[in-house]
Formats: sequence, C-alpha cells, structure tokens
Amino acid sequence: MSDKKAILSPLPGVFYRKPSPEKPDYVQEGDTVKAGDVVGLIEVMKNFYEVKAEEDGVIDQFCVENESIVDVGQEIVSLK
Amino acid sequence: MIKVIKPGLQTTVQDKGRIGLYEIGMPPSGAMDKYSFAAANLLVGNHPNAAVLEITYLGPELLFEKGMRISLTGANMPPKINGEPVPMWETLEVKPGDILSFDFVKSGARVYLAVEGGIDVPVIMNSRSTYTLIGIGGYNGRALAAGDVLHTADMKEKDVPVGSRIDEAYIPVFGKAHEIRVVVGLCSYRLTEESKQTFLQTEWTVTPEANRIGYRHRGERLQFVEREQPFGAGSNPSNVTDLGYPIGSIQVPDGVEPIVLLHDAVTGGGYATIATVISSDLNRMGQIKTNEKVRFAAVSLAEALQARRETEEKLMRIAASL
Amino acid sequence: MGAKGVSGVPTRYEYGGDEFIFVQFSEEMSLESNFKGMAITRKLKEKQLEGILDICPSNASYMVRYNPDVLDSEELMDVLQEIEKTTNRLDDVTIASRLVDVPVLFEDPWTHEALMRFRDRHQDPEATDLEYSAKINGYASTEKFIEAITGAPFLVSMIGFVPGLPWCFQMVSREKQIEVPKYVRPRTYTPERAFGFGGAFAVIYPVQGAGGYQLYGIAPAPIYQKEQTLPDFQDSMVFPRQGDIFRYRSITREEYEDIRRQVEDGTFVYRKKDFSFTPGDVLADPEAFSENVMRRLYHD
Repeated sequence: MSDKKAILSPLPGVFYRKPSPEKPDYVQEGDTVKAGDVVGLIEVMKNFYEVKAEEDGVIDQFCVENESIVDVGQEIVSLK
Repeated sequence: MIKVIKPGLQTTVQDKGRIGLYEIGMPPSGAMDKYSFAAANLLVGNHPNAAVLEITYLGPELLFEKGMRISLTGANMPPKINGEPVPMWETLEVKPGDILSFDFVKSGARVYLAVEGGIDVPVIMNSRSTYTLIGIGGYNGRALAAGDVLHTADMKEKDVPVGSRIDEAYIPVFGKAHEIRVVVGLCSYRLTEESKQTFLQTEWTVTPEANRIGYRHRGERLQFVEREQPFGAGSNPSNVTDLGYPIGSIQVPDGVEPIVLLHDAVTGGGYATIATVISSDLNRMGQIKTNEKVRFAAVSLAEALQARRETEEKLMRIAASL
Repeated sequence: MGAKGVSGVPTRYEYGGDEFIFVQFSEEMSLESNFKGMAITRKLKEKQLEGILDICPSNASYMVRYNPDVLDSEELMDVLQEIEKTTNRLDDVTIASRLVDVPVLFEDPWTHEALMRFRDRHQDPEATDLEYSAKINGYASTEKFIEAITGAPFLVSMIGFVPGLPWCFQMVSREKQIEVPKYVRPRTYTPERAFGFGGAFAVIYPVQGAGGYQLYGIAPAPIYQKEQTLPDFQDSMVFPRQGDIFRYRSITREEYEDIRRQVEDGTFVYRKKDFSFTPGDVLADPEAFSENVMRRLYHD
C-alpha cells in the first residue's frame, strides 16, 4: 500500500494549482482523489490543460510550486 | 472516415499554406515543419500539397472507421494502434475500428499524421490550412474537437507498400537545445553593435508563449540606437514606421523578448525586425518546445541557400527511395 | 547599397532569409515614400516574374517573397534596384484608385467601454483617448479634432497585420498631420470595426482582438467579411486595397443603426467612385487635391 504513484505533466508550460487566481486550490496534500479528478492546470500557447489523476489515491505531496514552469514528463504530484 | 475521440492540445489541418496573400494581410499558415510534413505525404503516396493533421505537444485519440494507409512523422511522440506501439516514419495500415493514440512527447513538438488521399476539408483561397485567428480553413476554421468527423480526399498519386520506411539518415533528431540559423538584416540597423552581439551570443529560453503565431524568448535585454523619433514611427525605440514582417523574422518589442514570427503571424506592424530565420531552420523551429534553449547563429545568404538545397535534396532522396 | 531614395537618404535593400527581400525608402512616413513604393511594386507586378510569390507594399517600404529555386536572389535584387532607378519621377505614374465614403460613429458606447477597461495601460488615465489625442495635437476640443480627421481624406498606405486592416495616412501637409502614441501597453481587447489611430495612421480593426491604437469610434460597415455576402465582398473577403482613398465621415447613432440593418440584411454597399491620380497631383498641393476628392465623391 505504501508504493507511491506519480502524476506527470503531459505538457511543457506553467503549472497552476487553482482554476483562477481568486479560487481555492483544486486539491491539498492529504486529500483523497479519484481517477479523473483535476489536480491542476498547465498553461501553454494560451491554452489551459487540466491535469487529472489517472487512478484513485491520496495526495502525498506537490513536487512543483504553483505558477512554476514544468517540463513534459516532470512529476507534479505524488500519490500514496 | 476518422472520428476524433480526444482532440489533443491543438490538432489542426494543414497543407503547404495559403501563399500569395500578404498584400491583403493574410499570413500563409501551413505546416510548421514542412520537412516532416513532406515526408508524411511521401510515405502514403500523396500529392505534395495534400492536407495532413498537425499535432502539437499532446496527441489526439482517433478512431478509423475505414481501413487506410497512414504515416506519422515529426516529433517523437510514441504512437499506438489499439494500445500497441507502432513505428513513426513508416507506412502503416489501419483497419476499420482501429484507434490511434499517443504517449507523451519525448522530443520535438509537432507530429504530422498523413492519411492516404489527404484530409478533405474545403479549399479556401487555394489552401486547406487552418488559420484560427479569423477562423478560416481547416476544419471549420478551428483546431479539432472531440466528436469531429474527418473525411479523406483523393490526392493519392501512387501506392506505397505498407512497411516502407524512411532511411534513418533522413530522420531528424530533436534535442532540447537548438541552434537556429538566421540572416541578420532588415532593420538590424536599429540595434546597437553590442546588442547585435548579445542577440547572437545569448542562450535564449522559449517561453510558454510559443505557438503557430510566434515564439517568444527570454534572456538578455537588447538596446536600440538612440535617435530622434522618425515621423510616423511609434515612440518606443523598438518602433519603426509600420512595415511588412517576413515569415521567420525576429522582432524585440521594447528590447525585452525576441519574438520569431511564424506561419500564422501578423503580416506587418510597427516593430523593428532584426534578422530572419532561414527557410530550412523554420522546420526545426516548429519542433521546439516551451522551456527549451535556442541560440541564433548568423549565416550568409549563400549559406542559407546551401542549407535549403540540402533539405530539398534529402526530400528528393526520400521520394526516390519509396 | 541602393539608389538615392526619398529626401536624399539611400534606400535600404535587405535580404530577409532566403525567401524575402525588404526594401525601405525612409525611416519616416511620408506620402512621397508611400507613392514610391506603390509605383515600384506596381511595375514589379506588371513584369510577372516567375518565382515571385508575394508583393507586399507597405508604408515607407515594401517586401517581396520569392522562391529562390526558381528566381535567383541576386538577379531579383538587381531587378528591384533597376526599377527604382527608372521610378525617380513620380508624376508619370498613374494610380488607379477608388474614392470611398467610410462612415464612423465617434464616441460610441462600445469602444468607450473597451477603452475605459484599459485606462491603466494608457498615457493619460484621466482622459478618454479622444480627449488625450485632441490635447496633444493642439486642438481646443474633441469636436475640432474630429473635424480635422473627417475634413480631409486618407490614403490607404498599407494593408496588413490581420486580413483587411488598412493603415490610412491623411492627405494633408505635414504641419496638419495628426500624430499620437500607441498605448503604453497594448489592450487585450478591441471591438470588431473599431476606428483607431496610432503613430500617423488611422485604422479600422477588421476583427475583435488585441490592439494598441487610440480608440475614437466604430464603423457600422465591415472592411473584412468572411462570409462574402455583401456586394462589396464578392471578389475578396477584404474590402480595402492599397492606394484607395478613404474619407471618414462622422455619423449619428441613427445612421449607425440604419447602416447596421443594411449590413445585416445584405444590402449595404459602400459609396465609392473609381478615380485615377498621379502622386505628383497630391504632392504639389495636398489641400487642393483633398478638395477635389471630396467634390468628386459627393457631388460629381
């Protein structure tokens, strides 16, 4: 049960933890997520792409800061 | 018929482009990486101007309702048919009901998917290319969306056997740091000598604002020669009396971030252009992603023409091999 | 490099990579530079050289896109320089043009709403774009400023940016030329058909989008129509042509609504007349030329 799973960024761009500046974060560390739940956004080429959990789990930690630049395949969230 | 299950991030129909309309302010659009575009059409025996799908950063999921030959070139984005990996740069065959999907992109930015006969969308001003800014061309003037249905055209010219493959020597490799050759000129007289050097010596980082319109780069600040503002030019030192922008031309609004204008760019405006990316390196430019590094290398016109001939030569050899 | 250009400054000839040649007559805008470009690009077009893909005349410069596999770069460069040498006299060039009445509703609610949203990006957040522009150009009121814009016609000196956008340069003497800066930082929104001014140029925005020009009003009729249903758009999605002469006419809200109805039911047609002139006619006496244009457009 203790094996960690990663949610990777499918795109290069800017990572956001919230849908818009005045809204709360999608999820917090310790939250339970189901497959398909949105955990953040990647902005690139003026498009916003939703990053979703691919399987059920509990958010262990965010590996990148809000509004930081991420690469393709970079780990964004680890699930436990 | 091809049904779009998932569209990817930005998947558009493109051909060689809408050429010859600069005087009305219409940019050419068309495939960003014309080398990979041409190779994709060659692999399915299409006319060189047959329309393909240009897939950017993130692959779509497509359902083929009819059997046909297809090919995938450009960025290394591992493709799968019904979940099984298939090769790129090779003539493939899909059967009715097959689903094409992709893994995350490994290198490069844009994949070209050619289908036997080409993608059929209405021809607008001699081209099927999508120009999303004003919503013309391609599939209803926009990027593909889930549920769209694509038809194939009749631009097939020859039968290329399934399994035909492009020689490894002609398959481009895309890293994360790129050298892009430019011819310095146009309004480069506006830059100080020192800034001309800085422009060529800086390792620039591609920002998230990098798309079919242009690529913006972060690095050093560039300075313009001091002057009295010419009548009609704007007040910023980077302004000029509005002029035409070549495809691949580079401008630096306020000296802050160099922008390479690409195929969907504005056709003119009031910023000094300082150099132009040579035609064969525009192909590579189209395979650069956000966060990657770019260095601009100055070459002469003769060197630009030589590079152009080499690119054409490679495509001729590919054509001869199939 | 190059022949003696406008006002004795040498013309700049530059290669734009391996597919473009860019030719700049002067760094500043003038009717003379624009006419020179118009004359040279029209002569180049007549030559019908194989391998030329685009001839793009602009304000004080022009650009050619060519296929170097078909047309040798240096050979084309020679041709362009040769044409310039034989185009030193501008009074033997006839420009086939159209005089067009272009209605504009000044101080309309739509551009007003847009410009108020971006006051923090403007030189003078306390004033409207029109008030600011009138003030820096020495006009006592916005009415006087509008009179100056509508009192003399404009030459369509370049088409570009996006499909159909006309850069328009007023056919008046230099002292009377209006000049305004662009926004400090561009707006992210401009309504479709907005009438604006930036540098020495008036424009109509063909489509909604970003923009940095001062906003004064809105045109009821389109200058770009994708659907091509209006009679003026049968041959092209784009109405303006370089060399056209536009007269911006101030209209009431009532006329605005009336023209909008005509556009919507597909009956709107621009009031226009074919007209030929030589650059020499304009340069000799812009004022007299303007009066002649107004008479031809509305009375003859």
